[in-house]
Amino acid sequence: MAEITLQKRPGEAAAVRTRRRIKALARGWGAPLALVLLLAFNVLFTPNFLTWQTFFVNLTQVATIVIVATGMTLVIATGGIDLSVGSLMAIAGALAPLILSGALTGPLDPGLAVALAFVLPVLAAGLFGLFNGVLVTRFAIQPIVATLVLFIAGRGIAQVMTNGNLQTFSNPSFQWIGLGRILGLPVQAVLMVAIVALAAWILRRTVFGRHVLATGGNEPAARLAGVPVTGVKLAVYAISGLLSGLAGLVVIAINSSSDANLIGLGMELDAIAAVAVGGTLLTGGRASVVGTLLGALIIQLLRYTLLANGVPDAAALVVKAAAILLAVWIQRQGEGR
Amino acid sequence: MIKHPLRILTMGLALTAATLAAAAAQDLPKMKQKQAYKVGFAQTESNNPWRIAQTESMKAEAQKQGWQLVYTDAAGSAAKQVADVDSMIAQGVDLIFLAPREEKPLVAAVMKAKRAGIPVILLDRRVDETQAKPGRDYVTFIGSDFIDQGRRAAEWLVKSTGGNAKIIELQGTVGSSPANDRRKGFAEVIAKNPGMQIVASQSGDFVRDKGRQVMETLLQANPQATAVYAHNDEMAIGALAALEAAGRKPGKDITVVSIDGTRDALQGIVDGKIGAVVESNPRFGPKAFETARRYAAGEKIDPWIKVPDNFYEASNAAESVASAY
Repeated sequence: MAEITLQKRPGEAAAVRTRRRIKALARGWGAPLALVLLLAFNVLFTPNFLTWQTFFVNLTQVATIVIVATGMTLVIATGGIDLSVGSLMAIAGALAPLILSGALTGPLDPGLAVALAFVLPVLAAGLFGLFNGVLVTRFAIQPIVATLVLFIAGRGIAQVMTNGNLQTFSNPSFQWIGLGRILGLPVQAVLMVAIVALAAWILRRTVFGRHVLATGGNEPAARLAGVPVTGVKLAVYAISGLLSGLAGLVVIAINSSSDANLIGLGMELDAIAAVAVGGTLLTGGRASVVGTLLGALIIQLLRYTLLANGVPDAAALVVKAAAILLAVWIQRQGEGR
Repeated sequence: MIKHPLRILTMGLALTAATLAAAAAQDLPKMKQKQAYKVGFAQTESNNPWRIAQTESMKAEAQKQGWQLVYTDAAGSAAKQVADVDSMIAQGVDLIFLAPREEKPLVAAVMKAKRAGIPVILLDRRVDETQAKPGRDYVTFIGSDFIDQGRRAAEWLVKSTGGNAKIIELQGTVGSSPANDRRKGFAEVIAKNPGMQIVASQSGDFVRDKGRQVMETLLQANPQATAVYAHNDEMAIGALAALEAAGRKPGKDITVVSIDGTRDALQGIVDGKIGAVVESNPRFGPKAFETARRYAAGEKIDPWIKVPDNFYEASNAAESVASAY
């Protein structure tokens, strides 16, 4: 009996091989395929889809998610997770108008104020990110709990800074980061592409990138092999903080208003969804920044498609969740073998 | 002899029924006539200009009247608000002003106050009418007529566009009563005007950033739109950003109308970008305290006291900007 079950006819073996090949293909090409399908649907059914303005609208709307999700990809690659990104955006977003208006430091030279409004909030967010890293490494707290601390407290800090009040401002040189154009392209889109390219290069071509993946793949082994695991983790959480701070600035610059209660609300989930759809392993050890970009684009385009075609909000949420599930399922096809 | 117990039972039943009926018809707790009162104000949250203006108005009026005000902020939690009302009952206030966060959870707070003999006046939102009624369980509801706000926005839009417009509607938070009612009132008027058409209607959650993003998308799909109706000012301001980014000229080739009356929106009218704003008045203080005094004097109070809402357009916006919230 055993012999019979073990023996496979040549045709069957070939079929298994083909199936495996299709699965592997699906895993590698699931995200781009989904994106192409969505694009095709929109070209056919959504009015005025093929215009530059539509392209720019989508790029500007997705930019902040991609910027945050890039940092998230690095954190997840080490086997961690960062729930505090939305709150760190709020801290940076609350800080910048305070600096611009001089409420924090007293009156400043306008040029200096703008420079500080760019640098200080991002640095502050970076330091809070570093704090996450310290909790994870020094105190060995699970990342999901460690970053939950700032997820809760961070927004509180931002609200205390502003008394929970909406701050409105108008400063064209600061708002360039959200409203300006470089060679006709929205600034935040250029920023997004640059950050993705840099992160992809770091992950693939540098020693640091290797260390990130090694840490996530098998931490004890990496430690024994001499990878500076603690330093790597501190670095990725700090990077995630810095990028969140930058995204916070972009959000307030577009709206010329800053509401500490709302900046980056729910961003951690959008970012994690983008990373998951993009094919990065949530357990660490395998990561793709370009995949994250594709994942974010899929979610963005899906949202655009539903809105533009008049699907009500409640239904749209369900469709979005289903699509994420589908994308992740496609990618998991080649695994477990 | 056999009949006796039956008769006793019948009498007992009748008595019970009478007591029950009396309990159900039990009137609102009375208020003693006094020179000054200690009253509670249970606010639901204070994270937006409208709420802050409302709280300030209540505090200012209490000071003016020389009444003591016990103020609590539920920070957006219905559970905390119920506890806040409990603590007011424990402190023995004469009357409670309650801005209920949600319709059902806060019924409990209203009933507890009633049992403790403390009258309640609801501000700006209601509680579930099937479980607690004005005039029986609480004194009255003081608030704006959201349906009428929607109607007034629509009527102005019909007039200013000559009855011809393709409208993009930015709704408030799905399921909230201001969003539902502002949509309903607006749709009523639009339905009577065949030249007016709502080409797209989606939620922007009452928030500027989301209002902008949704507007960007809807505008791409409906470039033929000639008017925007936003359920609040923050979304309208977000929509202005989206319109300008798309190269449209709000106030010239597209008409914007919204509801609330914040300072930024009135400035928008002055700048010629927003056509008109229906006010949703946050200044409840005078009306609320006057109602409490009338109730203490034993006057009959209507089940709904409407807060008068102003209307701002190009002719009167400039003079109101400074006093707006």
